[in-house]
Amino acid sequence: MGSSIRMIIVLGAITVVSGLALGGLNKLTYQIAQDNILRFKKIPAVADIYEAASGELDAAARVKVEEELLAEKQFVDLGGEGPLLFFVIKKEGKPFAVALEDFGTGFGGDLGVMAGFNLETGDLVGIGITTLAETPGLGTRVLEESFTMQFRGMSRGAVYKVKKDGGDIDAVTGATVSSRAVAEGLANAKAFYEANAEKIKEEIGF
Amino acid sequence: MKSITTTFTKGLWTEIPLFRLMLGLCPALAVTTTAENGLGMGLAATFVLVCSNVLVSALRKVIPNEVRVACFIVIIATFVVCVEMLMKAFFFSLSESLGLFIPLIVVNCVILGRAEAFARKNGVVLSLADGLGMGLGFTIALVVLAAIREFFGAGTLGVVFGERVFIDQPFVFLQEAPGAFVALGLVLGAMNVLGKLGKQGR
Repeated sequence: MGSSIRMIIVLGAITVVSGLALGGLNKLTYQIAQDNILRFKKIPAVADIYEAASGELDAAARVKVEEELLAEKQFVDLGGEGPLLFFVIKKEGKPFAVALEDFGTGFGGDLGVMAGFNLETGDLVGIGITTLAETPGLGTRVLEESFTMQFRGMSRGAVYKVKKDGGDIDAVTGATVSSRAVAEGLANAKAFYEANAEKIKEEIGF
Repeated sequence: MKSITTTFTKGLWTEIPLFRLMLGLCPALAVTTTAENGLGMGLAATFVLVCSNVLVSALRKVIPNEVRVACFIVIIATFVVCVEMLMKAFFFSLSESLGLFIPLIVVNCVILGRAEAFARKNGVVLSLADGLGMGLGFTIALVVLAAIREFFGAGTLGVVFGERVFIDQPFVFLQEAPGAFVALGLVLGAMNVLGKLGKQGR
C-alpha cells in the first residue's frame, strides 16, 4: 500500500512542478511568440491578399508593403473577446478591402485563414493561410498557390465549402481535412465580416 | 568507475546515436533536408537530452521503479515544450521549418533510451557528460547527413554559404524521403569502412 501511495505522490509532484514551470515560461514567451506570428505569418498572408487586389509585387516592393501593413494594423472593439485585429488594404490610396483572420479545425488543430473582403461588393479578394500544424507534405499543400489562387475574386454568393460537401471549393487531393479546415475558416471569417461590416466600415470611415 | 571523458566521447564515435545505435532515425530522416535544419534539430534534441538526463539522474532515488517510464516521459515532455516555446519566441523561422518534429522530440528514442539505459543508474555529473556527448553526436550525425543531402540534393549549403548555388542540376532524389534512406546507408557504409581501416592501422 505504501509503495503505491509513493508512486502517486512522486508522479503527481513531478507533473505539478512541470505544469507550473511550463505555465511560467509560457507567460514569459507568449507575447514574443505572438509578435512573431503577426510579423511572419499574418502580415505575409495580408500581403498575399494585397497582391490579389493590386497585382504581383517584386521582392523589394513586397517588403515595403509588409512594413506598411504592419504599421497600419487596426483594431475594432466589437464587444466580443477583446478588440479584433484587422488590416485595411488600399488600392490607389483608398481603402479597398479589409482582411481579418478566422480559424477552421484541421488535422493538427486550428488552421488560421486570413480573408480579404472587398469593402464595396463583399466579394472575396483573396486569402492567405496564417498558422497551421498539418501533416508535412500532405495537409501543408493547402499553402500552395494552385489551391489558394482559386479564392481570388470568389463571389460573396459562392458556397464556401469543398466540393465533396456540396460547395464551390476544389480540395487538394489527399488533403480533404485540411482543405475543409480552410473552407471552414473562410466561412467563419465571412460570417464574421458580414455580421460586423458596418462597424468595421465606420471605424475606417469608408 | 566510468570516467567522465569516456562517457562523453563514446557518444561521439563508438556509440554515436544515429549511426551506431540506430536510434532517433525518424526525426533524422525527416528534417535533414538542409544543414541548418539538421543543426537546429540536433541542438534542440541535445538541450532536451542534457536536461532530462540531469533531472532523471538527480531524481533516480526518488522515482519508484514501477512508474519510472511515466516520470521520464513527463520530464522529457516538459523540456520539449520549453524548447518549443523558446524557439517560437526567439528562432521563429527555424521553428517553422522544423514544425511538427520539435514536439515529436518527446518520442525520440535517443532521449528516453539514455534516461532508461544510463541516467537512472548513474550520478548527475556522469549523466550530464553522457547527455552532452550523445547530444553532440546526434547533432554531428544530423548535420553530416543533412549537409550531404543539401549539397548534392539541392546544390546549396545555406548555413555556411548563404544563397550560393554549387550544383546547377542537383540530384533532387536526395531531398526526398527515399533519398534520406539511401544517404543514411551510404554514410553508414563509409563509417564501417573507416572503422575497419582504423582497426587495421592499430
